[in-house]
Amino acid sequence: MTFTRRTTLQWLATATALSLANRGVAAAAAPQATGAPPPFKVVGWPASIAPMPAAPGYGRDPDLTAPKVPWPLTLTKAQRATVDMLGDMILPADAASPGAGTLGVGAFIDEWISAPYPQQQDDRGKIIAGLTWLDAQSRVLHGGAFTAATAAQRATLLDALTVETPSAAMAQPVAFMDRLRNLFVLGFYSLPEGKADMGYIGDQPTEGPYPGPTPEAQAHFAALLTTLKLPPLPSPSQA
Amino acid sequence: MAAAKGADGPVDVIIVGSGAAGGMAAHVLTKAGVRCLILEAGRDYDPQAEVNMFAPESDAPLRGTGTPDKPFGYFDATVDGGWQVEGEPYTMTEGSDFRWYRPRMLGGRTNHWGRHVPRFGAYDFKPFSRDGLGADWPIGYDDVAPFYDRVERMIGVNGGKLGLENHPDSPPGCLMPPPKPRVPEMLITAAAESLGIPVRAAHTAVLTRDMPDKVAPRSACFNATPCTRGCTIGAMFQTTTSLLPMAKATGRLRVVTDAMVSRVVMGARGRAAGVEYVDRKTGQRHQVKARAVVLAAGTGETARLLLNSGEAGRGLANSSGELGRNLTDSTGASFRAFIPGLAGRPRYNEDGIGGQHIYIPFWQYEQQKRGELDFARGYHFEIGGRFGVPAEAALPRVWGKDLKQAVRNASGATIGLTLRGEMIPNKDTFCEIDPNVKDKFGIPVLRFAFRWSKHEINQVAHGRRAAHSVFKRLNGTILDPDLPPEQIMTAGGEIIHELGTARMGADPKSSVVDSYGQTWDVDNVVLMDGATFASGPHKNPTLTILALALRASERLATRLSSGALA
Repeated sequence: MTFTRRTTLQWLATATALSLANRGVAAAAAPQATGAPPPFKVVGWPASIAPMPAAPGYGRDPDLTAPKVPWPLTLTKAQRATVDMLGDMILPADAASPGAGTLGVGAFIDEWISAPYPQQQDDRGKIIAGLTWLDAQSRVLHGGAFTAATAAQRATLLDALTVETPSAAMAQPVAFMDRLRNLFVLGFYSLPEGKADMGYIGDQPTEGPYPGPTPEAQAHFAALLTTLKLPPLPSPSQA
Repeated sequence: MAAAKGADGPVDVIIVGSGAAGGMAAHVLTKAGVRCLILEAGRDYDPQAEVNMFAPESDAPLRGTGTPDKPFGYFDATVDGGWQVEGEPYTMTEGSDFRWYRPRMLGGRTNHWGRHVPRFGAYDFKPFSRDGLGADWPIGYDDVAPFYDRVERMIGVNGGKLGLENHPDSPPGCLMPPPKPRVPEMLITAAAESLGIPVRAAHTAVLTRDMPDKVAPRSACFNATPCTRGCTIGAMFQTTTSLLPMAKATGRLRVVTDAMVSRVVMGARGRAAGVEYVDRKTGQRHQVKARAVVLAAGTGETARLLLNSGEAGRGLANSSGELGRNLTDSTGASFRAFIPGLAGRPRYNEDGIGGQHIYIPFWQYEQQKRGELDFARGYHFEIGGRFGVPAEAALPRVWGKDLKQAVRNASGATIGLTLRGEMIPNKDTFCEIDPNVKDKFGIPVLRFAFRWSKHEINQVAHGRRAAHSVFKRLNGTILDPDLPPEQIMTAGGEIIHELGTARMGADPKSSVVDSYGQTWDVDNVVLMDGATFASGPHKNPTLTILALALRASERLATRLSSGALA
């Protein structure tokens, strides 16, 4: 048997793997639309987005040993370029890992919003409308599409889209960015490069009893108990 | 009756279903020399050929995220079934919300299950005697204990000592050693115990030692890969890698898959002659005969089968009128918090044996007995929190290098407590035949009615206070929405612990079966699944299903060999 690496979406749930709750990505709590307006006049949210043509899902009984995506990708070239650029801004390259756009997570975003399932179609509405809004807002401010703006201009827009309490006019644009950002987090950190960035250790079959926390992890735990004024456990290996 | 294709040759017992109960029945009966035929509604399934244990989620569409096609993720073991089955609907009464999970595969739900296997305690078998609600079982803990002992050794359970009221310990030799706890579990232990809330090693149906067998050898868990994908090394208990191959090896078991049983067919002297089933692939109807019929189709399907048999409008084995009633599911709710003290903690491998290593058993029996609680039955918490992609709610609204740093910081810093609680049967919760709807085979479908009572709602509210007290003791930031308990509870059926639709009892007037699952009205129809439960304790039901199926199967084998069913 060849052991290859694996990840688990159980990470996303953080709750116990015993939970049989849907492992779909939960929507982030909607921000309160009571914040200060951004330093520009906000353009209107697109009225409606054309529905996606019918596409096949993978069905209830796909071949689990040969996974594939049966639906076509639907982002236009320009939309994909914007998504890739946003990926490199939201999760930029640094010493630990490449940027999300450069790593190709834009293809995952496209796969996600092109999937014929209710959650993904809901996200599609948000994200296509958001990309349309972003270009419209950019044109009003800078006379060109978002990808044609300067780095500083793009940063100003992204700042306005990443606030705890948006103004009423920014509620939908901020909800769009919340969704896109969280999809980038999912898409990026489930790849080997993202896992390495988090310092993730796992996916390694280990024969024999589970080794448990390392001495370093035990020491951190002991110090944490002291900080929290909790008594030590009877023995480190005892629950 | 015509012999079915692929089912020719005489059989002694027809077993409907191949999950925990059907697998146990086949194993015990064939070992006793009884010729068995399993009729499984789902398709054939071979974990060795089909399970993808090691592929990263990034190999799967949508990074493996659950969809209506694969509700628990792309690589999840459940195939060809789920919350909806093509052409096989169910309906609900107005105002009811009930989810019915139906795997359609050999091995049923055991291919994908929680693996948490606590024993029921003495109180759990006599709930009516304790608080005047629901019904007592006709048997007590002492009757079932020897079967728990044997089932734990048969399926392989790891766990530790509990030493708590109504949480029986296993005698020596039953359990394999439990795995060491992970750091978040140790931290929850320290905080909870300081608040008087006990934390113990969970009993889990995952091998921590090899289990040799000539036919179906199983290996100890190698501390990697998600159990719910299925386990090709056999570390997790599932009938497809254990009881079913063992039963087949006797030469006395035949299995027909894609066989949707539509009704029990009656013969002479008030006995069942066999069953009728529909071949799901051809739509053809077949009848097969046997000396006895074991129903192990799952709580809902077993009730449906009996309701669709016998007298029109009344069903079979329903002289009590209790068939389809007393349906329960476990309550469910999840709580989580970001723990600043865990942020950026030292990395190590936290995969372990898949699920939780420790859990919080119910600890308030004395308060409940004294009437200090506003709910009558208990709950437990299953414990979560690992390294990995942080929950969205645990990340700040930032972008750029701040976001990358926030992810590093928050990975492994979120902990979760998942509540599972007992529901008391109520008159508004049941299943019945929908007179207007049939499935694609022409079989009338079930209609569910479901309602939580104040007991369950207050229990979830209590659980939230308890979970949050643990989080606060750890200076945690609670990530749960501030909603009324009714809105944070799972829907009926969602925990997939449906039980009770043909409950056992001491009195034929108020129960459907006796303590051996034998229907009061038809002495060669024996029920072995969750339908027979007289109550649905918070403790996950599969171990008890297996123990009662073992007990009932040995009784049936004795009756067959003594000529009682000649």
